[in-house]
Amino acid sequence: MKRKIWMLGLLLMGLFLLGACSNDEEDGEKDKDTGETADIGGDERTLTIAVGSDMVTFDVHDHINTSTEAIHVNMFNYLVKRDNETGEILPDLAESFENIDDLTWEFKLKEGVTFHNGDELTSADVKYSLERVATGEELKDYPNYNQIKEVEILDDYRFRIITHEPEPVLLNRISRIASAILPSNYIEENGFDHFLQNPIGTGPFQFVEWVRDDRIVFEVYDDYFDGKNEEWDQLVFRVIPENSTRVSELLTGGADIAVNIPPADWDRVADHENTYLAQETSNRTLMIFLRSTEGYPTSDQRVREALDLAIDNQAIIDSLLGGAGVPTITRVAPGNFGYAEHLYDTYNYDLERAKELLAEAGFPDGFEMTLHSPRGRYLQDAEVAEMVAGMWAQIGVTANIEFMEWSNFVELRNANENEDAYLLGLGNSMFDAANALDWYSADRFEGETDYRNDEVEELLAAAMTNMDLEERNEQYIKAQELLAEDAAHIVLHMESINIGVSEELDYTPTMDEMIYVDTITRK
Amino acid sequence: MNYFLKRILEIIPVLLIITFIVFTLVFIAGDPVALLLPEDATTEDIAALQAALGLDDPFYVQYGRYVMNMLQGDFGTSFRYGEDAMLLVFERLPATLELAIASILVAIMIAIPLGIWSATKKNSSIDLVATGAAVLGKAMPNFWLGIMLILIFSVTYSIFPVSGRGSFAHLILPAITLGTGIAAEMTRLIRSSMLETLGQDYIRTAKSKGLRTGIVVYKHAFRNTLVPVVTIIALQTSTLIGGTLITETVFAWPGIGQLLIQAVNNRDMAIVQACVMVIAFFVIVMNLIADFLYQLLDPRIRYK
Repeated sequence: MKRKIWMLGLLLMGLFLLGACSNDEEDGEKDKDTGETADIGGDERTLTIAVGSDMVTFDVHDHINTSTEAIHVNMFNYLVKRDNETGEILPDLAESFENIDDLTWEFKLKEGVTFHNGDELTSADVKYSLERVATGEELKDYPNYNQIKEVEILDDYRFRIITHEPEPVLLNRISRIASAILPSNYIEENGFDHFLQNPIGTGPFQFVEWVRDDRIVFEVYDDYFDGKNEEWDQLVFRVIPENSTRVSELLTGGADIAVNIPPADWDRVADHENTYLAQETSNRTLMIFLRSTEGYPTSDQRVREALDLAIDNQAIIDSLLGGAGVPTITRVAPGNFGYAEHLYDTYNYDLERAKELLAEAGFPDGFEMTLHSPRGRYLQDAEVAEMVAGMWAQIGVTANIEFMEWSNFVELRNANENEDAYLLGLGNSMFDAANALDWYSADRFEGETDYRNDEVEELLAAAMTNMDLEERNEQYIKAQELLAEDAAHIVLHMESINIGVSEELDYTPTMDEMIYVDTITRK
Repeated sequence: MNYFLKRILEIIPVLLIITFIVFTLVFIAGDPVALLLPEDATTEDIAALQAALGLDDPFYVQYGRYVMNMLQGDFGTSFRYGEDAMLLVFERLPATLELAIASILVAIMIAIPLGIWSATKKNSSIDLVATGAAVLGKAMPNFWLGIMLILIFSVTYSIFPVSGRGSFAHLILPAITLGTGIAAEMTRLIRSSMLETLGQDYIRTAKSKGLRTGIVVYKHAFRNTLVPVVTIIALQTSTLIGGTLITETVFAWPGIGQLLIQAVNNRDMAIVQACVMVIAFFVIVMNLIADFLYQLLDPRIRYK
């Protein structure tokens, strides 16, 4: 019997060792490939950033994931980059660019830019990268690039981008997700799968290893064309999905920066002696979309305006978002093309007027309606929906809130089964009014919101392909004024970006939610 | 031996039935394309991606295609990661196994001495404390215990790392989190099983022969309580392979649990299927091992 108990013990030990060995083997293999392993949070020349979800892929064209792109921007470059403060388009891989005619843009690349394997960047890489996403229907970012017809190579450094239609927004289009320039020779020689396992780019940091759901490690690239990053030798993105754990890592120094700090933990981070909370307005707007379909009370402009007037936007920001957020009447924020200054950082609130309007519209005692809302997708989304319903109750409108799981919510909208109103948060990585205002397009939302304003339609159609940028800007501002008058949908506020930072670092988040490690320095 | 061969062959139809159930559930739950595209995707964009991924085919076509591919060893490609689903699961397996085994060891180390102790000192204050601790261990939710352990041992006293996988120190807090819950159950089982054994005639005989209490308890009584203990270890190990979801998320432990949670949230059919297949396989195999160990521990048990 003693022998059998020993056998049981040995079996358990064996299982444990098996687990431990397989772990060693895995790490050993990584060592061979990379020559080193990651030292998490130890070395002071290592920057550790805690993120909430893992990167999706290194296929820059096949994700639409802001948090993935926030990592990619440190190892890839775009042709041009957008200044987050001014919205101005600045050179990056391209040295210069000009608009030749309505359909043609000519670019000249900087000379001497190299990929992490030493290959020099040429026009062929640009052609490969942009045409791959512009023609690959199965790629997730295809809808944002199929406006590009082709890339015509003039010589090694000069090329033209030719579009199907006039594209005033082309420069914005190619300075965002899926705009990274990939190494065409490297991919052709080794295959795309090899690239996915061993990605290279032109950026300040080069790939070391990716342990899924755990960490992504980069090291500084010595020959970066814009000058080697002198601040950091190694860059580690750690994946920590649980909010409180991510905050704990920041407080204990296990991470230097932690993204997406939830409102419940803001004080904990801000008051701690080792950390501070860095906040910035994002380009994400929280909105309530109203149905203008005949038969719904919200088809009447007066009812829509009354619902808007009943909401105290600033009170929502103060009580649910700790004061972080900007109330607004339009989606087009500063830094976006077509920004309407007088409609931003302001809101309409007048309960008496709201009641009058409802009475005029034939609802002196209010009415009952349905508000669909996702839960947990945006900052305090469910709480916002509840507070809005409470505010509407003050003018006699009873809103029954139906919280929905995200994919069911999307399906409900796709099937046009949404009712009076739904809450939605919208980002805009294009930073152009065309994207923001497409949500008022009658054709696209026929059956879903059924909002139609012919004057707005004309302005949006004209601006879409207008290469006279000044006139285009005015067209968008005019459209936003008309939409505000019409109370087409209710715009609540711009969300904030909330990042916890070690007291030893200087870092200001940017509106595009990217994490540019080049801007993170020690104090 | 034929018995075990039969049991092994049974794995195949069981796994096939499981794929059908999981496929149906994920299919009913909703369309993954809604989650792959951004808020501002148009209806045309959605239709185009559905067609590209073959998701516009009827259920039986999609399931048929899945089974045919599976029989050829292809468990499908993840919608989200664009990579082979089974490889993604195998990548995570060592982490989950490591955590599961460590948790079981923690549970054994707590439960065996505590269970025996409280049985031999029945109704004493020690027994009362041990029973109370067992109830408490069972009642504490994993996520709460995990977060508390982090706050105490990492944030306040900086003894263990907060999260992640790497060194032995990283393993301790998650293993304790999972291990205590199992230990609670195991302690109660060992206690009651021991009490039953200690009341048997042969124990009285052993005692009356003048043997020391230690020898009576460990040599005569404890070995006879091992059969239920092995059962629970086997069952708990297989549950742990698929049941570490919450603990893995709290401790950012890169195992199957985290992968499965994300896959379910994203309706990533191929990964959900691959995870469930692997978990189911482990459950079946662990049950088989338990049956095998019974024979070893108790010569009276024979399978035909």
